[in-house]
Amino acid sequence: MTIERMLATYEFEQWLYREAKLIDDIDFDGWFSLMHPTLKYQMPVRVNKEGTERPDYALDMFAFDDDIELLKIRVDRLKTDYAWAEIPPSRTRRLVNNVRLIDYVPNEKAVVNSYLMIYRSRSTDIHHDLISGERQDEFIYENGEWKLSKRFFIVDQTTINTRNLAIFV
Amino acid sequence: MYKTNIDLEEMSQKEAIEYLNETVKPETGAIPAYLLGDQKIYDLEHKKVFLKTWVFIGHESEVPNKNDFITRDLSGYSVIITRGADNQIRGLYNMCTHRGMKLCRADAGNKSSFTCPYHGFNFKNNGDCVGVPLQKDIYGADLDKSQLGLHKIRVESYKGLLFGTWNDEAESLDAFLGDFKWYIDIFAGRAEMEVMGPPQRFVIHSNWKIGADNFVGDSYHTMVTHGSIAKLGMVPSATYSKKGYQIHTTNGHGLNLGTPNPDFAFPEELKDEYKANLTEEQYDVLSNLKNMIGNIFPNLSFLISHTKIKGQLISNTSMRIWRPIAADKMEVITWFLVEKNAPEDWKRRSRESFILTFSPSGIFEQDDTEVFTDITAAASGTMPLVKQLTFNYTMGLHRKPVSEFIGPGVVYDDKFTEANQRNFYRYWLDLMTK
Repeated sequence: MTIERMLATYEFEQWLYREAKLIDDIDFDGWFSLMHPTLKYQMPVRVNKEGTERPDYALDMFAFDDDIELLKIRVDRLKTDYAWAEIPPSRTRRLVNNVRLIDYVPNEKAVVNSYLMIYRSRSTDIHHDLISGERQDEFIYENGEWKLSKRFFIVDQTTINTRNLAIFV
Repeated sequence: MYKTNIDLEEMSQKEAIEYLNETVKPETGAIPAYLLGDQKIYDLEHKKVFLKTWVFIGHESEVPNKNDFITRDLSGYSVIITRGADNQIRGLYNMCTHRGMKLCRADAGNKSSFTCPYHGFNFKNNGDCVGVPLQKDIYGADLDKSQLGLHKIRVESYKGLLFGTWNDEAESLDAFLGDFKWYIDIFAGRAEMEVMGPPQRFVIHSNWKIGADNFVGDSYHTMVTHGSIAKLGMVPSATYSKKGYQIHTTNGHGLNLGTPNPDFAFPEELKDEYKANLTEEQYDVLSNLKNMIGNIFPNLSFLISHTKIKGQLISNTSMRIWRPIAADKMEVITWFLVEKNAPEDWKRRSRESFILTFSPSGIFEQDDTEVFTDITAAASGTMPLVKQLTFNYTMGLHRKPVSEFIGPGVVYDDKFTEANQRNFYRYWLDLMTK
């Protein structure tokens, strides 16, 4: 690995940590500002296949399939007084690791894969939800900053063990 | 008037049924909270409701080709739904008849036979046992494979909707759906419909009846629970959901018909197909439809929703079952349905609106799940039973049904009533106390 790629890997690790912090701190506007206008934000439905055939997720059905406008609707909604699913907000902790730089063109674009574990706690409930999966992210460099242009989150459950996806992945 | 030291667990089944008859009063709008959290009720429901009625298991378009299969849950038991080489759709219990191992672990696929992972018994997708490893050597000439076929499940369909039942004496699906078919035609039979993608599944800590109750008759909650949708301009106003009709038929089925709609909620290109599939009266309902929300007893809820997204109106059609897992837990399984002959761009936008509104991330869906969870927690345990906490279901009791509506059933010309929930619980009670 070249020094340049090591530095880039570090830079994207820090980017993902910062993203996790913003969203865990429910700073939705701050989080939304990390997105590129051409964003594709997808979470396909995971399925049980007979054997080792891949992919083992749907190509035509998603739990999230947002562009920048739809994601904006979700963020705006969370700021109304009626977004009951997150009133009061869940306490979440996003643990990002196994960050790998897949493709990198300095000051232009990058592809970064990582693993994600979300811990979610609501209200006084002593039960917590764990959502685990892999992120396949794409970035575009614009005005001196890396913006997220694609997120493809492959969740590790075929039946999702959380009451809703009122939180982001 | 009731016993104050009530302990359902101590009661015999006969006594529990008597207690249900004493305390559940659908006609006067009194539904006790303990129905939503009690283990004895849950166990009785499994026997008296879920092993007796027809339960939704899938859509014909999920097995479009010969030898396609899907695996589904039918009232707590895994079943394989296959389309045979003869094009017939069958339901088979997903259990090897030799020693009971689960035959198939995939959600879907294409296979003409299934081999047991335990001893290798092989079954054709019509259920016939066709292969036993080393048969002649180890069984001699005496093994009759014709006695080893997979257990068959009664499967019947209406307008592409597949239902199964464990009850060999159940009336036909056609009779069970009865007058409600008139409305199912509009929902599922208005055109050639197909399921897109696999169903989405998630688990909520909620009693299943809360979901059925919500869809069968609760238009009232949309003003508040879904207040954010009006705030975002996706529907015109918070009281949007009041106008229209609430309708129920026998066997607990019911729906809410939102009308009128100045816009045609469906692809214009398909008007001829709709007219060919519907009666003139049904087409009239379709033309004026702004939404349709209902429940086929016990736990298949369906929905047509019409909202404005990115400045454009679009409708989406979906179904979900509230699959009981425990008294306080259910799996929600959601399907997106679309007109097969709709323009590709319309299908894409319709799917997009479904995912945004009624998938697990849906901005309608998520607020409901919060409510369902908290109701279940509050209704569970012994206290709601001994304190006889009871919910009020009297909304609209003062109203008379209208007679001039063009469709069948008992029809009210206002969606804000609880007549459908009373009808749901009436049939539920009939089954529970039979």
